[in-house]
Amino acid sequence: MHQLSAIELRDKFLNKEVSALQIVDYFLKRIDSYDGQIGAFLTVYHDQAREHAKKLDDKLAKGEPLGKLAGIPIAIKDNIHVKGELSTCASQFLTNFKAPFDSTVVKLLKAEDAVIIGKTNLDEFAMGSSTENSSVQLTRNPWNLTCAPGGSSGGSAAAVAARLVPLALGSDTGGSIRQPASLCGVVGYKPTYGRVSRFGLVAFGSSLDQIGPFATNTADAALVMEVIGGHCDRDSTSIPHKRETYLEKFDKTLEGTTIGVPFEFLKDLKGDSKQAFEQSLETFKEKGASIVEVDLSTLKYSIAVYYILATAEASTNLARFDGVRYGIRAPDAETLDQVYDRSKEIGFGHEVKRRIMLGTFVLSTGYQDAYYKKAQKVRTLMIEQYKKAFETCDLIAMPVATSGAFKIGSKKDPLEMYLEDIYTISINLAGLPAVSVPNGFTSHSLPLGLQLIGPQKEDVRVLSMAHAFESETSFNKLPPQFED
Amino acid sequence: MANKDKWETIIGLEIHSELNTKSKLFSAAPNRFGDEPNTNITEVCTGMPGALPVLNKEAVRKAVQLGCALEAEVAKFSKFDRKSYFYPDSPRNFQITQFDQPIILGGHVVAEVEGEEKTFEIDRVHLEDDAGMLKHFSGFAGVDYNRAGVPLVEIVSKPCIHSPKEAVAYAMAIKAILQYLDASDCNMEEGSLRFDANISVRLKGEKGFRNKAEIKNMNSFSNMQLALESEIKRQIKLYEDNPDTDPNELMGQATYRWDPDRKETVLMRRKEHADDYRYFPEPDLVPIVLTDAYIEEIRSSLPELPLQRERRYVSELQLAPDAAFVLTSDKPLADYFEEALKICHRPRQMCNWLIVEFAGRFKDTGTHLTTSGIPAEHVGKLVQMIDAGKITGRIAKSVADDMVASPGKDPELIVAENPDYQPMDDNEALEGIVDKVLSEHAQSVEDFRNGKDKAFSFLVGQIMKATRGKASPETVNQMLKAKISQ
Repeated sequence: MHQLSAIELRDKFLNKEVSALQIVDYFLKRIDSYDGQIGAFLTVYHDQAREHAKKLDDKLAKGEPLGKLAGIPIAIKDNIHVKGELSTCASQFLTNFKAPFDSTVVKLLKAEDAVIIGKTNLDEFAMGSSTENSSVQLTRNPWNLTCAPGGSSGGSAAAVAARLVPLALGSDTGGSIRQPASLCGVVGYKPTYGRVSRFGLVAFGSSLDQIGPFATNTADAALVMEVIGGHCDRDSTSIPHKRETYLEKFDKTLEGTTIGVPFEFLKDLKGDSKQAFEQSLETFKEKGASIVEVDLSTLKYSIAVYYILATAEASTNLARFDGVRYGIRAPDAETLDQVYDRSKEIGFGHEVKRRIMLGTFVLSTGYQDAYYKKAQKVRTLMIEQYKKAFETCDLIAMPVATSGAFKIGSKKDPLEMYLEDIYTISINLAGLPAVSVPNGFTSHSLPLGLQLIGPQKEDVRVLSMAHAFESETSFNKLPPQFED
Repeated sequence: MANKDKWETIIGLEIHSELNTKSKLFSAAPNRFGDEPNTNITEVCTGMPGALPVLNKEAVRKAVQLGCALEAEVAKFSKFDRKSYFYPDSPRNFQITQFDQPIILGGHVVAEVEGEEKTFEIDRVHLEDDAGMLKHFSGFAGVDYNRAGVPLVEIVSKPCIHSPKEAVAYAMAIKAILQYLDASDCNMEEGSLRFDANISVRLKGEKGFRNKAEIKNMNSFSNMQLALESEIKRQIKLYEDNPDTDPNELMGQATYRWDPDRKETVLMRRKEHADDYRYFPEPDLVPIVLTDAYIEEIRSSLPELPLQRERRYVSELQLAPDAAFVLTSDKPLADYFEEALKICHRPRQMCNWLIVEFAGRFKDTGTHLTTSGIPAEHVGKLVQMIDAGKITGRIAKSVADDMVASPGKDPELIVAENPDYQPMDDNEALEGIVDKVLSEHAQSVEDFRNGKDKAFSFLVGQIMKATRGKASPETVNQMLKAKISQ
């Protein structure tokens, strides 16, 4: 059953070939059997998921209408709220924090009869590219258990890759959906900024964060987008557009399309990743697409700009974790300053502290002009450059990451880890939609991903063309063989 | 001895006013004062992770109304910023305010100061959210987030105020505009109108500003006047006692609190270095973009404003400008005035009864005529009785005392029930009294005949005294004139 797509599962349920309870029990059993090796899940909702499945079976039996995601189990990154359940963000600070409300995405998933099956691991507060910054547990890459799954949505990516669940949600601030999708050989989609509501997502970099789906294929990812990709009046940055239909616009043709490639920016790409990327461009050409070079020279500043803007926003977003209202409070604190200092000291991990300090610094009087304001200007230039590039092409293609999955513990220097997101970060800075689709393997049989980037609001185009590419290849058909 | 004439005062006022919107600035929680702690809150008010602010359009509308009323520029593009500081009453540990692109720029108000009309310039008005309130108990403190997120406008004047009286007049004019717009409850006791002053002095003719003191906690107009007066004296004394010391060394930038019991400003904290609030644009909100049509629609539908009303009272009702300013600065009082005029159209007398007689009777009682339970109709009747000669001015003052003592009791009834308040319409009795006074004060009669007008007033006074104020002054005048000239 885990070899089926989400859409196939749903159809089997609706055709009464299999009950929702059977589906849920099947995946719960897979999680129970294999997640010990993977470590993707922080919480599994055994009882709630089974109860929900029984209700769906009742609805079907009574002939009541069912939603687009009927009976499909879905996992949620643990920085997205499910009412009444823990939202730890993989931080010691929130080990006791139960979400007081449903995020908009979870509300929408429930309304379409998806079954929320549990919460997945992440780098603490989504800060990282390997999920090693989780303060709770390690998550392992199903393709090689000594490798990291990427991050920060490593739990969601690994869970889908290991077929412990057909769908998952992640969040992407600088590549946190696309990079782990690439490293785990699944489809990961980062929508246009504002397409999916951030209400109920614990903020990291508010002007960069987007929630998006993981799936084993583009059609399943598109199905999730049809459900979660709509205007929300509780998020002021939400685009005032109705939900769009994706699947009926999928036409599998690349004939006559133009793919832009920033060859100059990609000149350092080498090895397996380079080969796979060039092979993908060949595929596009064979199917009638033309390749043009686009100038994205400002992208070389992506990492510098991102680590100023994202940390600036994060330093204020995380200021609320102070031990006063929720989360942990240092038990030995006696004065107000001690409550603040000691709670943060024991609540936050190293990377989170590093980013709060960095963000506080770049916003300080005397430094703000040199860092924060200058970074904003470069961000504007990037947006302009992307706009100009899209005048000559339909989509832009880039690799997702410089290489396949890396060994757990191999990247000790934070800067080296930051470079993992060199190809993904600018997309968040410009608020563009982008997908990671499997496009090959390394010589060590680790998956690689192709990134397809669209102009703002062209989410349908991105997923549709990714679907066409996927139809010409078979990299997503082969699940990892990790089971003992 | 301080030579006050050598010095001039420079004051800038920051006025925080809570807007009386239905819900809070960034959430649907009710904007209401006085409820049980932490009942008017949502996840936004307590800064829950995952909560997002959504701007209240009603608050924007009220801010734009205020901008139009101040004849200021309403910015077609303005934005919100995060202002970072750690305190438990701040649920996110940053306030959402407008730093460098406020919604209102410039503007001015006109106020009467000691019989002179003055124009005060405004620097800016911006929108921001209020903080919660700390409550201290024995052994611990709690936070009430009911107030957290209540919309505030901060109205910042230019440093164009030169005396405590001007400061009070300016603040009264701002309060009046907010009341006329129905933008704020302006309840100083409940904190919906709060004043902070920046104040410094310098020698007349001196260029530039000396270090300023910031004064907080001036929660009434009279406290504001006392606080500013006391601070001016303190600063002048400091400079005059230390003529050889660098003024900047004498007076560091500092924040003071007005202590109404000790009647002096008390140091709260020195500002050796400026606070670093690390302002940057609030990424969770989009900028406020307003169209000309929206602003014009608000401008053209503004209600009558205090200055317009004041000018109307001066031109149509012949009130003195300073009296008209005091009356119109208090919207409920001006409304009350117009109600009372419907009973008796004697505007100058009515105004005097409201802003002098009744105001005096309610001074320091914590209540006001408009909320006392005395209907405007009754004050109208009181003036009507005087006007019709049914009671004398002197009796009227006693009737007013009784009205204050028994709010809601009809003054006509008060007069009817009290024999002492009956006018002396028995002319024969009066004539007897007049004759008696004339015979007892023959010298005064003589003086009057020799051209001393004062003597006549003296005689009237003696007659009124003898009638215990019950005689109509008009009748007394006539009778006296007739008798003397016989």
